[in-house]
Amino acid sequence: MGHVNQCHGCLSRRQCLQYITSAAIVATAAGREVAGAAPSPRERSADFIDPASLRPTPKVRVAAALLRMPTPYWLGWPGTTFDLDKHTKHVASQIERSRRTLGIDIELAEKPIEDEAGMSALVQRVARSRPDALLVVLQHMGCWGWVERLANECGTPLLVMSPIGTSFTGHVIGISRRPGVYVVSSLEWSAVEDGLRMVRAKRMFEESRILWIHNNQRNETVLDRLGTRVRQIPRDTFNEWFAREPVSEEVKDVAADMRRHAKRIVEPTMEDTLNCARAYTTAKKLLAAEKANALSMDCLGMVGARLVPTPPCGAWTLLQDHGITAGCEADLFGATSLMLTSYLLGRPGYMNDPVAETAKNLLIAAHCTSGTRLWGFDKSPAPYIMRDHSESSLGVSMQVLWPVGEPVTLVRFSHAGEVIVDTGKLVSNVPTPPAGGCRTSVEIRMDDVEDARDVLGFHQVVTLGNHRRLVRSFCQLYGINPIHSPERAPHAEGVA
Amino acid sequence: MKRIAVALLGVIVAAALPPRSNAQAGTPIPTPGLAASHVDSEGRLVEDWGALGIRLAGDGVHMGPAGVSAGDVAPGVPGVRIVRDGGAVTLDATVFRAPVWPSGLDILTVRLASKSDRDVPVRLTVELPASARVGKRLVSLGGRAIVGLPERPAPVRELREWGHWDEAADLPGWARPEGECDPAFRNIRAGLGGVPIAYRFAVEPGGAANVFLGFCESHWRAAGQRPVVCQVEGAPLQEIDPIARWGVHKPGAVLFAARDVNGDGRLDVAVLPKPGSPDVNPILNVIWLFPPGAAPSAEAVVSGRLNAVATRVVDVGGPGDQALEAAGRLQYDLVVAKSGTELTLLVACPGATVESPSRSAWTPETLRAAAARVMADWSAVASR
Repeated sequence: MGHVNQCHGCLSRRQCLQYITSAAIVATAAGREVAGAAPSPRERSADFIDPASLRPTPKVRVAAALLRMPTPYWLGWPGTTFDLDKHTKHVASQIERSRRTLGIDIELAEKPIEDEAGMSALVQRVARSRPDALLVVLQHMGCWGWVERLANECGTPLLVMSPIGTSFTGHVIGISRRPGVYVVSSLEWSAVEDGLRMVRAKRMFEESRILWIHNNQRNETVLDRLGTRVRQIPRDTFNEWFAREPVSEEVKDVAADMRRHAKRIVEPTMEDTLNCARAYTTAKKLLAAEKANALSMDCLGMVGARLVPTPPCGAWTLLQDHGITAGCEADLFGATSLMLTSYLLGRPGYMNDPVAETAKNLLIAAHCTSGTRLWGFDKSPAPYIMRDHSESSLGVSMQVLWPVGEPVTLVRFSHAGEVIVDTGKLVSNVPTPPAGGCRTSVEIRMDDVEDARDVLGFHQVVTLGNHRRLVRSFCQLYGINPIHSPERAPHAEGVA
Repeated sequence: MKRIAVALLGVIVAAALPPRSNAQAGTPIPTPGLAASHVDSEGRLVEDWGALGIRLAGDGVHMGPAGVSAGDVAPGVPGVRIVRDGGAVTLDATVFRAPVWPSGLDILTVRLASKSDRDVPVRLTVELPASARVGKRLVSLGGRAIVGLPERPAPVRELREWGHWDEAADLPGWARPEGECDPAFRNIRAGLGGVPIAYRFAVEPGGAANVFLGFCESHWRAAGQRPVVCQVEGAPLQEIDPIARWGVHKPGAVLFAARDVNGDGRLDVAVLPKPGSPDVNPILNVIWLFPPGAAPSAEAVVSGRLNAVATRVVDVGGPGDQALEAAGRLQYDLVVAKSGTELTLLVACPGATVESPSRSAWTPETLRAAAARVMADWSAVASR
């Protein structure tokens, strides 16, 4: 609950305690679904779909090896006092721990590699077994030539752990910025795990199918670089399934939970909430039937045509909190951006309509579908107020109260080969009214962007925490170009 | 070589065969719900923009009738196979629909093999609509990229005296120049998506010229939105921001003292986006080449009054503009061994545009793998 202690100024201590209590209840309820404890009435239903089953669980294979010079060492870094045996055991135990905690199959070569013949064997092993990545841990500064060779020849993403004492800045300055390579020069194994998470996230993209619900066609395509399948299905499919969806025990249970744990309920009636829960169960069934792991729907078009009695906003929040990407307005790259926060950062975000707050030079990020588990899917949720979808005054939309003072990251795939990544700090939650627009609406003071009007992109995904370096590293590993909003207002430059 | 040339004259039909209607009967290429295309009885790939055919020529090479059949062209990848007897060689081509988002691409792979132990020189012609423009890695038709070319083998480049050599797009009538100026300022080429605009001009090896690049910005009203970087061979780089220099709708030109530094008899001219600029699409309106020595004034050049004394005036993106490569002709000189040689083309299917290979990570292997993955369970869902 550390985040609660960092919440500056937005809540009173009493409010905080209330939220902690309600958050714990929600967390318990959600955890039951994920952890498979005693089934609730909703789970005993024959057609209950565990949302955890919709998240992709790819097999991730990483080959690993230690690189060193022939022993015993004498002069040269890491030095004679570097305890090789102890370090080797330490690496093996860290790899074992990562294997268990991250669910990644990491196969460490039996013996450290210390000559050219060993290197050639490693290159051949990688070519033969085609792992998802190769992890090498350096035990001598003289191994960097081999790292270069691996980067050129192994044909798979390369993760390099160089413990302090095995590199100078000159060793890493070039190769650490090279596409397909991720270099850690540190004693922090958590940084290696970041690299392993990147590999896992990429595999999750590859194993995912996005259900693209719009238009009136059915087809399937694949996204460049990410390898994600996109199954387009006619928009009416959702309306038809929704119309048939009963008010089941699960629907009642979900609706009751939503209302019980809300900080406040403003507009939605019980009927609205039941419809919201029906949209949630409908979406789960449709995802399962289509063997899909994420969706993006032409929701505004459906509401505009009055095809459904409720926009799906509240249902999308529920899906996001289970790690299932649910995107708005059939914005496909908005959905892949949500998948990035879900798969790489382990937390939801929300795609936003960006607004310039010119009086305070802030960016306002607004939409109606924010997840609540801002600190992570396995963490307590943020408080929320139950509202309607502001543009239509229909249905349920959560106004999620984001923690003021915390850093945030904005990510957006412009296309499969480019990601906009920016960061900032949360200044306030914007109430509607007096403001118009969407229900979850936060003010952000941008880092490294002089003027908030110049923030790049639309439907950027806002997620909690500063993940700029991690997202950049992911992009580098997979040949995606990361870009940032301009630091200075572009029109101010070069005016005649 | 002489005999090959004779054979070429005798066999190659200079103009591409006319496209036939999509409605014509043929062998359809299976797709996962995407718009269909087909292979006709002559073995041509028929798309919404026209037809693509393969013709072979060479000593002992001739074109037998095409055998067209449907079936798997790789494990789990349904497609169409085209087999032809080519005399001294065999032609075995396959085409399948790669489910590249958003509209797919047809992947045509042509395999040639010598029937004997003798290596056979073959000229392979890819027949395209006559107005197709062959660029570095893309063939375009009316601004649409219709064929993506592999890095290797390299096609036979039949180069004109001058022309564009890029993946940019013509946008005639885009600009609204104000004041006295050459009418060519109305037209532009644009490097959509950040691709460079590139031209080449034949000169004496090591020769020099005064090159003027003309710009007129008619979209942005504020400076700093679309600055570009101009690279003219032999001259220092220059950053140009047309709005900052001349204003909105105001034509202007910048002088470069160009020289054929590498002695290849060509002057290279390129306009690129300035790194980090908000609008990454570079534009260019006019190019003038004048003899080396004392350069005329930019004002006189912009007015068009000196066109008669220019060695070249290029109405960039206008009706007189041209590709460096001869239109509609895409040819490869191959030496075909018994073990065979292969050429893979990415072809725009209905509704699709081929993305620049420099911006795409797809390879023939990943395209096949994507097709196999999607088609594996497509039949089960297609009927829903």
